[in-house]
Amino acid sequence: MLNLRNLNLSFHGNKVLEDIDLEVKKGEVVTLIGPSGTGKTSLLRCINLLEKPDSGFISLGGLDYDFSSIDKKETLNLRRKTAMVFQQYNLFKNKTAIENVMDAQMVVQKKSKKEAYEKSMEELKRVGLEAKVDAYPNQLSGGQQQRVSIARALAVEPEVILFDEPTSALDPELVGEVLKSIEEVAKSGMTIILVTHEMSFAQDISDKVVFMDKGQVAESGRPEQIFKESDNARTQQFLNKFYAAAQ
Amino acid sequence: MFDIVTVFESLIEIVKVVPKTLFLALVILILSFILGAMLTYIQSLNIPVVKQIIAVLQSFLRGTPNVVLLYLVYYSLPLVVTSFLSLFGVGFDPASLNSAAVVIVTFSICYSVFQSEIIRGALHSLDKDQIEAAQSLGYSTSQTLRKVIIPQVMTEALPDTMNAFLIIIKALSLAFLVTVVDIFAQARLVGAQTFSYLEAFVAAALVYWVICGALTYVVNKLENRMRRGYV
Repeated sequence: MLNLRNLNLSFHGNKVLEDIDLEVKKGEVVTLIGPSGTGKTSLLRCINLLEKPDSGFISLGGLDYDFSSIDKKETLNLRRKTAMVFQQYNLFKNKTAIENVMDAQMVVQKKSKKEAYEKSMEELKRVGLEAKVDAYPNQLSGGQQQRVSIARALAVEPEVILFDEPTSALDPELVGEVLKSIEEVAKSGMTIILVTHEMSFAQDISDKVVFMDKGQVAESGRPEQIFKESDNARTQQFLNKFYAAAQ
Repeated sequence: MFDIVTVFESLIEIVKVVPKTLFLALVILILSFILGAMLTYIQSLNIPVVKQIIAVLQSFLRGTPNVVLLYLVYYSLPLVVTSFLSLFGVGFDPASLNSAAVVIVTFSICYSVFQSEIIRGALHSLDKDQIEAAQSLGYSTSQTLRKVIIPQVMTEALPDTMNAFLIIIKALSLAFLVTVVDIFAQARLVGAQTFSYLEAFVAAALVYWVICGALTYVVNKLENRMRRGYV
């Protein structure tokens, strides 16, 4: 469904991602884990071209794109097949929760206001925010804002939703409600690529876990393979550090 | 002695030029906003020599009194227009240049610098996150501009822009120097006719005050409405 081949990205001559291959099947939940600064978020941002890779190929929804020669139209096309949930929610501050969810449907997908409204209500209900549809982002908690942003991503019916550390900016007591919504999305059959530091959540929810290190895919496999049976030294080192810190 | 009836009589005469004054100020506001937006845009491009030229221009405009600029334009604009038109073989009598044009040109240029600052500030207040969110949802550049950036920047720039409008209205009192009759100029004329300068200026002050008060009220209402729930 989504296929990345030989993706390379550099910032000002520094290699950030090197020769990344990644395959995601329809309905799969793929989690990217690894140390900070290792390129997980950059990889996610390459998929919707918020960062433009130097080279590489992507297939998504039956179409192939060459990153080194991708034009404006193809960029928009690719972006319209994906949606992203950001670490800082990135809601439109001057719009209410429901307007945030409706906007892209009307602007990008040219849906009527009524259609967009109904779809948005449905998605806001799914994340449990039907009581907050008319609230502005600054009237919502971080967890609620993030759930609005999940509803906004769902509403455009993308091929894949990219979650970029969706709980990292949240107070600990708000993490649970957002994880629950993500789980809900995963259960609905949506294809998901998730960058997270919530290891136990990653283990529970993922079909595939990708461990990244120094801009490369160090190891990938089923969650139990990575978390329990890995013999990759870097993976073990990372997980051990992680568990030690958690205790 | 001070005569309240004369104040009222002057008031009636002065109010007659209020529409013209407001219209002039509005034209200047719009032109300076457009010029300011262009300045902001050009500066954001960071073109080496152009950037320095604009910086020098800005410092010049900030560092010279409006009166001086007004006279500068008053005496130079006819020459500029004449020589410009002669390039195309069109004859032009320098004396026929409307002095209102002089006022509009001068103040539009003067206040474009301030408008540019206002726009830059408003743009700065818009966080990049929202632009990325729009991009990630597949908004085109113009959709992002129309649906995300401009509505918020407008709201942000509104109070300062309206403040600039009030400043322009008051600054127009200098237009008298180049024979354009605004509120202040009218007060001088009325005063000169009756030798009741004090009453005329009291009336002028009242008119300015009422205009500014009313505009401030309207803008506050408008801003609250535009911002609705968000800060």
